[in-house]
Amino acid sequence: MSEQTTFVPAQTRSAVWMRLLLWAVLIVFAIWFLLPAYVVVGTSLKELEEIRGGSLLSLPHELNFWAWKHAWSEACIGVTCTGLEPYFWNSVKMAIPAVTLSTLLGALTGYALTKWQFKGANMVFALILFGCFVPFQVVILPMAQTLGIIGITNTVYGLILVHSVYGLAFTTLFFRNYYVTIPDELVRAATIDGAGFFTIFRRIILPLSPPIIVVSVIWQFTQIWNDFLFGASFTTGGAQPIMVAMNNLVNTTTGVKQYNVDMAAALITAAPTIFVYIVAGRYFVRGLTAGSVKG
Amino acid sequence: MASLTIKNAVKRYGSVEVLKGVDIDLQDGEFLVLLGASGCGKSTLLNMIAGLETVTEGEIMIGDRLINDVHPKDRDIAMVFQSYALYPNMTVGRNISFGLEMRGVPKVEREAAVLEVAKMLQMDHLLDRKPAQLSGGQRQRVAMGRALVRRPEVFLFDEPLSNLDAKLRLEMRTEIKRLHKRLNATMVYVTHDQIEALTLADRIAILKDGEVQQLASPAEIYDQPVNMFVAGLVGSPPMNFISSTVTRTDTGYGAEISVRANDGDQPVLLDLSDHPTDLSTHVGRKIVVGLRPEAITQSGHSTGSTTQSFACDIDVTEATGADTLCVLNWNGKEVMARVSSGYAQIIEGTMDFAVDMSRASLFDPETEMRLG
Repeated sequence: MSEQTTFVPAQTRSAVWMRLLLWAVLIVFAIWFLLPAYVVVGTSLKELEEIRGGSLLSLPHELNFWAWKHAWSEACIGVTCTGLEPYFWNSVKMAIPAVTLSTLLGALTGYALTKWQFKGANMVFALILFGCFVPFQVVILPMAQTLGIIGITNTVYGLILVHSVYGLAFTTLFFRNYYVTIPDELVRAATIDGAGFFTIFRRIILPLSPPIIVVSVIWQFTQIWNDFLFGASFTTGGAQPIMVAMNNLVNTTTGVKQYNVDMAAALITAAPTIFVYIVAGRYFVRGLTAGSVKG
Repeated sequence: MASLTIKNAVKRYGSVEVLKGVDIDLQDGEFLVLLGASGCGKSTLLNMIAGLETVTEGEIMIGDRLINDVHPKDRDIAMVFQSYALYPNMTVGRNISFGLEMRGVPKVEREAAVLEVAKMLQMDHLLDRKPAQLSGGQRQRVAMGRALVRRPEVFLFDEPLSNLDAKLRLEMRTEIKRLHKRLNATMVYVTHDQIEALTLADRIAILKDGEVQQLASPAEIYDQPVNMFVAGLVGSPPMNFISSTVTRTDTGYGAEISVRANDGDQPVLLDLSDHPTDLSTHVGRKIVVGLRPEAITQSGHSTGSTTQSFACDIDVTEATGADTLCVLNWNGKEVMARVSSGYAQIIEGTMDFAVDMSRASLFDPETEMRLG
């Protein structure tokens, strides 16, 4: 009985052709989707002369990082010629606290809504959920007033507040749905053991949360980093996040349109979100499906 | 160690009354089992003792202390949950010591206490593992260890064995019994398994629809069930209920039934003379005779004082090892009899059965309550 029999399905001639066709279609689509990325990266590495003279799809003659350097530290955004660098750090200073804050608050709210059920908890959750469907534009005016009253208009802190508040609806939804799958008896046991609301959260609930934290962080980071509207509405000049600065950079033309600089700027701007996806992406899918596969 | 007193405990959710005034008085060191079907309020009562549910009305006292509004952690209780509720992110050692840590016990003492408990439960080699790396039985032990380590006044168990397989359940049942003997602690144990209740309890409280039906020792519950619900709940297979009418006989009272024997229905008069109740007012009225399967056995084996023998047709037999169950037909309904296994082969067709009427329970069919 040591004979190894492997299961090989019968291959007919037409099945082989179908398989080849499938591959061909997939390759065509892969090229189709990758083409814009190739053009952006390729153009960012070309000199202006080359762009004007050559084809859009031709490979750069040599790897020329001038456009990247220029976009990062020299390009003019409006009248100030500092490159994207200060705005990049603006965005970092905005995104990291805002992501942390909204994730932490979402976790805490989700925990309170599921494990400390109070009268009307579901109603509160429904109202919070409603926040997911409120478009950006609706909150701009009241938010501008609020920032004015608090006195943090045109600052990074203002944007941190805006994004934390707006993101709370989503993060609460994530954490609430994840915590529903954690058995209540854990909290009961810990209560009898003598742990309070925050101790249980810190010692038992948070250590079980990494999959959903990853989901929340990726979601929030992408939202906040890529946001243009809030950034453009609540900040001007030096306090702007990179997304707004890049837009201004592209729109600031002095004489010749520098396509290579525009492309490099776009890539610099997109780099952090790509980085977050690469680092945490596999946890992302795992976290999204965690509730459904947990035994 | 302490006594536990529950006085007129009521639990309401809105207009729904889950517990309708429960009175239980538990001596120091007693083992109480709350038995009932799901939804009878037994877990709610346990959670109220634990402090995980508020008490709508009434009083719960541990020792002389009223604990209605005392936080669970200050009640000096420990609880073992059905799902074990082990903290998945902590090692076994941390799981056990968590309660002590929350109470500010110094690390050295904590470690000593954990080791002692782990040794007692023979799991000192597991202390560095995570719950996910343990088998069901081991998890159960950790959950018990977590309760034991704090040396509480009262232990609460919420169906702790229902997630285990049959063999392990027997083992852990014995273990719990042994622990109770050793610690001599007050314990309250919730289950829907009547065998667990009978084997573990000093006293059993049977709940139905939020009311205690009977609170008594296992033997009393088994032999003198207070109503037909209790009689039907406890015992496997359950008590046979035979409907009849009380008649006056030369020696006292009887209940006539028809028994399928030799392929025909034969009238048989069950002798009720020995029953302690005065049945004079019941003559001519309907009655339910409750007989446990072991009260109907092969002729010549019954030792009771009021034994009567008659022939019965055997419908089906079920060998259970030690005994064989025979399905008979009385009054057109199935009646279970329990005979010694030696008779398993020879029984076919008709056989003489002895019925021990001194072990019969009589019920009023209207109220379903026990007579006498």
